[in-house]
Amino acid sequence: MVTRKHLGRRTFLRGAVGGATVALGVPLLDAMLPTRQAAAEGIAGDPIFGLFYWANGTPWHAGHGGEQAGPPDLWTPAEVGPGYTPSELLAPLAAHQPSVATGLTPHTEIPPEPPGQGDGHMRGFMVAMTGDRIRPEGFDHPSHTLTCLRPTLDQYIAKHEDFYGKTPTRFRSLEVGISPARFHDYGHWNAISYNGPDAQNPPTMDPAQLYAKLFNVPDDLVALGRRAQLIDAVHEDAKGLRLRLGAGDRQRLDDHLEHLSEIQRRLELTSGTCDIAPAMPGDSGDLLEKTSIMGELLAVALHCDLTRVFSLMLTSPATTHVFGNLGVPDGMHKTCHDGAWESVRKITTYQMQCLAKLLDHMAGLIDPMGNNLVDRACVFAVSEYGEGWKHSVAEMPTLLIGGCNGALSRGVHVREPGGNIAKVHVTILRALGIQCDTWGWNGGETSEHLTGILA
Amino acid sequence: MVWAPRNLLGSPAGGLALALALGLGGCYSGASAGDDDGASVSDATGSASASASASASGGSSADSEGDDETTGGPPAIPFQPGPPTFPRLTESQYRNSVQDLLGGALPTPPLEPDTNPYLFFTIGAASTTVSEIGVQQYEEAADAITRAVFSDAGRREALVGCVPATADDACATAFIAGFGRRAMRRPLSADEQARWGAVAVALADGDPWEGLRMAVAGMLQSPHFLYRVELGEADPGDPTRRRYTGWEMASRLSYLLWNTTPDDQLLAAAEAGLLDTDEGLRAEAERLLEDPRARTTIQAFFAQFLDLGRLAGVERDPNSYPLYTPNLAEAMRAEVELLVDDLVHRQGGDIRQIFTTRRTFVNSDLAAIYGIEAEGATPITFVPVELPEDGPRAGLLTFGAFLTMNAHATETSPTLRGRYVRERVLCEMVPAPPGDVDTNIPEPDGEAHTLRERLEQHRADPACANCHAFIDPPGFLFEHFDSIGAFRELDNGYPIDASGDLDGAPLAGARDLAKALEDDPRVSRCMVTQLYRHATGRLDQAQEYPGLKAIDQEFAEGGYRFHDLLLALVTSEAFRTAATPEDL
Repeated sequence: MVTRKHLGRRTFLRGAVGGATVALGVPLLDAMLPTRQAAAEGIAGDPIFGLFYWANGTPWHAGHGGEQAGPPDLWTPAEVGPGYTPSELLAPLAAHQPSVATGLTPHTEIPPEPPGQGDGHMRGFMVAMTGDRIRPEGFDHPSHTLTCLRPTLDQYIAKHEDFYGKTPTRFRSLEVGISPARFHDYGHWNAISYNGPDAQNPPTMDPAQLYAKLFNVPDDLVALGRRAQLIDAVHEDAKGLRLRLGAGDRQRLDDHLEHLSEIQRRLELTSGTCDIAPAMPGDSGDLLEKTSIMGELLAVALHCDLTRVFSLMLTSPATTHVFGNLGVPDGMHKTCHDGAWESVRKITTYQMQCLAKLLDHMAGLIDPMGNNLVDRACVFAVSEYGEGWKHSVAEMPTLLIGGCNGALSRGVHVREPGGNIAKVHVTILRALGIQCDTWGWNGGETSEHLTGILA
Repeated sequence: MVWAPRNLLGSPAGGLALALALGLGGCYSGASAGDDDGASVSDATGSASASASASASGGSSADSEGDDETTGGPPAIPFQPGPPTFPRLTESQYRNSVQDLLGGALPTPPLEPDTNPYLFFTIGAASTTVSEIGVQQYEEAADAITRAVFSDAGRREALVGCVPATADDACATAFIAGFGRRAMRRPLSADEQARWGAVAVALADGDPWEGLRMAVAGMLQSPHFLYRVELGEADPGDPTRRRYTGWEMASRLSYLLWNTTPDDQLLAAAEAGLLDTDEGLRAEAERLLEDPRARTTIQAFFAQFLDLGRLAGVERDPNSYPLYTPNLAEAMRAEVELLVDDLVHRQGGDIRQIFTTRRTFVNSDLAAIYGIEAEGATPITFVPVELPEDGPRAGLLTFGAFLTMNAHATETSPTLRGRYVRERVLCEMVPAPPGDVDTNIPEPDGEAHTLRERLEQHRADPACANCHAFIDPPGFLFEHFDSIGAFRELDNGYPIDASGDLDGAPLAGARDLAKALEDDPRVSRCMVTQLYRHATGRLDQAQEYPGLKAIDQEFAEGGYRFHDLLLALVTSEAFRTAATPEDL
């Protein structure tokens, strides 16, 4: 593995504000120039973690002992082990050899009060993202909040020293979203990525905005350095205020200031920009096209090592997205409840095609060793429950796609009826080289990974 | 008198146990409307909203005091203030404030979207944490906005008021003091003056204007600007609590009534100590209410209170609803705005009429939906109309916005509509369905043709019955209105039964409900409660109920004029005092 040495300009500019000296005229040392010699030397890049989220699970079926009798199971492959034959819904992904774990379910306990916390949209979603239950406080209130008790997996990884070490990429993580439809409009359904309770990472929804963030970095390093210095004064200004706040508000302010430090680090970076900026993207209301647009930008960002962690929210939990392009007249959530199985079949297939589109872009970028981004990546794809209709969190659909630099076996079907979904999290963390003795909370604890998938 | 919105859950231990013992199974089954003096099991209140508010303000779940206020008679406990909040400026507050501070045409770079948990953006602003991207956007906005102002020689001189020869001359120093006072909504401390003065010098890059620009860009990123720092000082009259300073009251008044930073006159009033007195506060509040900006903020409150944001997500199939046009949802929203404006400003009348009035405003799309003549109405022209006395409509709950946003794309929803009546109009709590029940409504079969009949089958399931008995009977009253609010006689080809009840009092339809709400004390209490949440950025807590009750009384004494409610609120003890955070 390569350790990149990014020497910040802060070394030279520090102390200008509040101190006496102002150092300007930054020398451009070799060590500060973009370091892509790693790739040039033919060393495989560091592993990548991606999170792909789609809403409203899979079409229900008669299998697995559920009472949702009727149509066939289109998700679970017939065989287990390596080299399984892809099921109908996994067929769009076949080229990328997804590993799939079936039968898993949340093991977290469900507090009796307030009621409703067993609902798949909230419980399945939060357990899949964090390994812990949702936050119960306020849950029962009109326009109740939906929030987590701890950071989501992508943020746990992006902030873990075992992952980035001392030299994080320009962005520790990127969050993007595709469908703007939301089950509730009050904001807590806007994101799948959280730093902690009520601390969302709202996804970038506009391709032009993502493009600007990734590729429109001003090249006046001196001006950027002065903006970085100004942040020292803002930090100073916040110091006394912290002490006047109660614990909760102090935490909010501290998180704000931590973000500010991250912005400052980015302003000081002299490396980590990308010289293969793609063309200025368009936008699209079609989910497949928009996923392709965003997927291309993400793939280039990963290839240029602007980040190694991303999340893509195709559709928000309990999505009300109207898949008019598939001839489905109602929002998807209601379509599930109405028992329109054929419509849900079409929609789920389409959502898998969107995932395939993202993976296609990642597979198309190949490093000098011949590895593409999917070879380096562990892409965790998941929805909030298994079988639509009744929001059952039995049989959560979970995919692990990519080789993670050889740490994951590809094209394996592992089946564990009733197994703890947190095993997927443990598998991911261990594949990424992150120390993980146990994962899961409030009844969801496990120390086991999926042995068939972790190589 | 019971103040709080009712819900069954109350304290998980107490309220629920009581409910189960009485066989209610988790949902309030309804006492009679206006039964506010009677002892009722449904009145276990307080701790649910209190713990929710604790989480809304980021704290731990605290106080369970005040739960005992479940029976008639005077409140058992006196008013005690709730905790202060620490809200970040909402996007509109940020843009308005920057506009007022800098003037002229400014760039509008992207900012983090606001959230509105518990209906209100102020609650989102006080409970959520800004993301990293949000902070980056603040940094980029401060840079872009100050560049726009300072790159123009005329603009920067107009802003600064003099020409600095150096970044630390008298001109520069005075500007930092003056701008800082406006941006931070209070005078800068000596440390702050020195800090921003040093920035101007250190980052001048040979040009004093550039130094001042950087100082302004820094102040616009300071938490003292980005957050409303209203934490109070020791209350001279009561050492156990805090009161907001005059500067803080200026900020509270201004963001509540104008949604922006205080103007010079308001800051001068704070400096002169006028905002420490009832008369001074009232005088300034009256001045602010006369300004057109107050109209905008009052509209914004009603849009949140009435949950109108959900209209934006409405989609209807044009084949099923030929009258539905893209213009229609916007017209429905405009109708409510015109109605609010009329009741608050022009008529200055009883704001509760919003739920009962036959006088409304329609454009040609709405007139078609309502089946009425509206002379002069066009797609873009609204005209006042008096709805027919013998017609099916009166009040907001028979208008397009409510009926449409509480219906599905292909069928109505008595459940959503009934829930809105409970939660939005009466401020009662409806719990989510238990996790293990089948929430699907049975398909039409030989016996159940209409949606109502299918829902009644659903209610036959005991697990569903209790809550739906609370929600659906008022919801059935609207069954004559389809998913876009048009009148209909048939559902699925069968005659509609739109009878129902509210808390056991039988009602023949939506018009009857409007009549029943006319004197229902829950309506004004709910409005007071929601305004208080909007104004404070958190849920009300049990120990504050006596304060809210006093505001409601003043509201009533003035004939329920909305301006009087605002004046009662801003001069109230509840709005002017705060508890000391326990964990400080």
